[in-house]
Amino acid sequence: MNDEPMTHETARGLAAAYVLGALEPTEEAAVRAHLQTCAEPHDEFAELGGVVPYLVELPGLELVEPPASLRGRIMAAAAADLAERTATASPAPTAATPRLAEAPAAPAAPPSVVEPGTTVPFPSATEGTERTARRGASPLGWVARIAAVVAIVILGGWILVLQGQLSDARAYDRAVAAVIDAASKPGSQTVVLTPTKDSRGAGIAAVAPDGSVVMAMRDLPATAGTQVYEAWVIAAGSPAPVPVGSFTVGQAGTAAFTTTPVTTPPGSTIALSLEPGPGSTAPRGTIVATGVSALPKS
Amino acid sequence: MNNEFGPRGRVASAADDADRAVLVLVAAGQLDALQELYDKYRVMAYSIALRITADASLAEDVVQDAFLGAWRNASRYVEDKGSVKTWLLSIVHHRAVDAVRRRRPTVELPEREDVPPAAMTLPDIWPEVAGNLDREDIAAALTSLSDVQREALELAYFGGLTQQEIAIQTGTPLGTVKSRVRLGLLAMRRALVGAGGDAASDTAGGDRSGDPGGGALA
Repeated sequence: MNDEPMTHETARGLAAAYVLGALEPTEEAAVRAHLQTCAEPHDEFAELGGVVPYLVELPGLELVEPPASLRGRIMAAAAADLAERTATASPAPTAATPRLAEAPAAPAAPPSVVEPGTTVPFPSATEGTERTARRGASPLGWVARIAAVVAIVILGGWILVLQGQLSDARAYDRAVAAVIDAASKPGSQTVVLTPTKDSRGAGIAAVAPDGSVVMAMRDLPATAGTQVYEAWVIAAGSPAPVPVGSFTVGQAGTAAFTTTPVTTPPGSTIALSLEPGPGSTAPRGTIVATGVSALPKS
Repeated sequence: MNNEFGPRGRVASAADDADRAVLVLVAAGQLDALQELYDKYRVMAYSIALRITADASLAEDVVQDAFLGAWRNASRYVEDKGSVKTWLLSIVHHRAVDAVRRRRPTVELPEREDVPPAAMTLPDIWPEVAGNLDREDIAAALTSLSDVQREALELAYFGGLTQQEIAIQTGTPLGTVKSRVRLGLLAMRRALVGAGGDAASDTAGGDRSGDPGGGALA
């Protein structure tokens, strides 16, 4: 910004205001430029900068929980950013991943590497979101809720892509699109299915107004022999699980399934169990995933 | 409180290491790691943004921007040694201040990056000190500020005002505001380092030149 470079002494003198962000824009730019080019030590910047976060404790900061929808917004935006990064044919989720791998003290597992040119195909999911945004009595509540679901779903799809199962990811994507389509109809409920302890299998579902449940599941262990996954609805206020249909799962671990319609008021539990064979009237096998249906927040 | 014989900084390093591990995963593009980071710091982040902007919807935008900034820049920050919490909350703070300033006319905003220049990376001693601090220590450090120092720091930190704006708002000469800001931060640092541990304060002895009592001269 300034043509004249700032002297080291001047920059040091501005350290306190700089770390506080209390400099005028031109001064701040000059200090930043100085820090980037000057090889002299600048201890005071770090020393004073380390104090700034404690100013949070100045009296009067009221701790406020952010609205629950903010998490969904952030996760959806990050998922979109991730999809964009991958779509622009970068060889890895971030350009700096190779550097990351070299970091000597990286305490976590090395990052997964995505093959060059891999893209995350979620156009239909996005279209679903846009459709949803135009429908319904309370579009904003819907958008937030669907965005949260899409974030979860994209994460699931992303993991599939990492495993190199692109066609499975596409199949899962179509299943998700079907769920979102069903969820976008007025009066539908959404369900996030999470695995039970020691089980695998997660996904999302929409309960259509007629009571049928449209599911997109991933990460389910493959069925073998006569085994099936049976879907159950435990209606709110009723103790008895009602079987609503069964399906098999291949090596990909994904499933798209629509159940027989039964009465499913908000707050009903949707469960999946792994049964030795079709036709169970009560769950005999392990319950692998459950979720509770809910109307979108308005 | 401070454990005279305990392994100082152990707790802090463990917490920092945990954050760092999460940040590595964030840098690798793992969304659930971002969510973990969000859940850990969302209340602090939102509270800061809300205090600065005094506008719930703007505060949400600020927090979203900040976490997306962290999401995009984690790979660059992950190599540094600083505290993840400090980094994250300073992004929130910067964005909130920017948001407030953007609402005022004729303000040209500098391009801020979400990665501090190398010189801003916190020294190794700092996390160790910080880990031994509890809220009482921090409150005590804040009481080491004179009223005018506290006012200047508060107007800068929570008000998003520049030194010049503070000078105008409080009817104080700019030079006086500058020394309040500087001496205030020095006083806090000395108090925090003192509370955090002797070993650390040895390293920080160079700061002792600027006496906080002198700050009251303004």
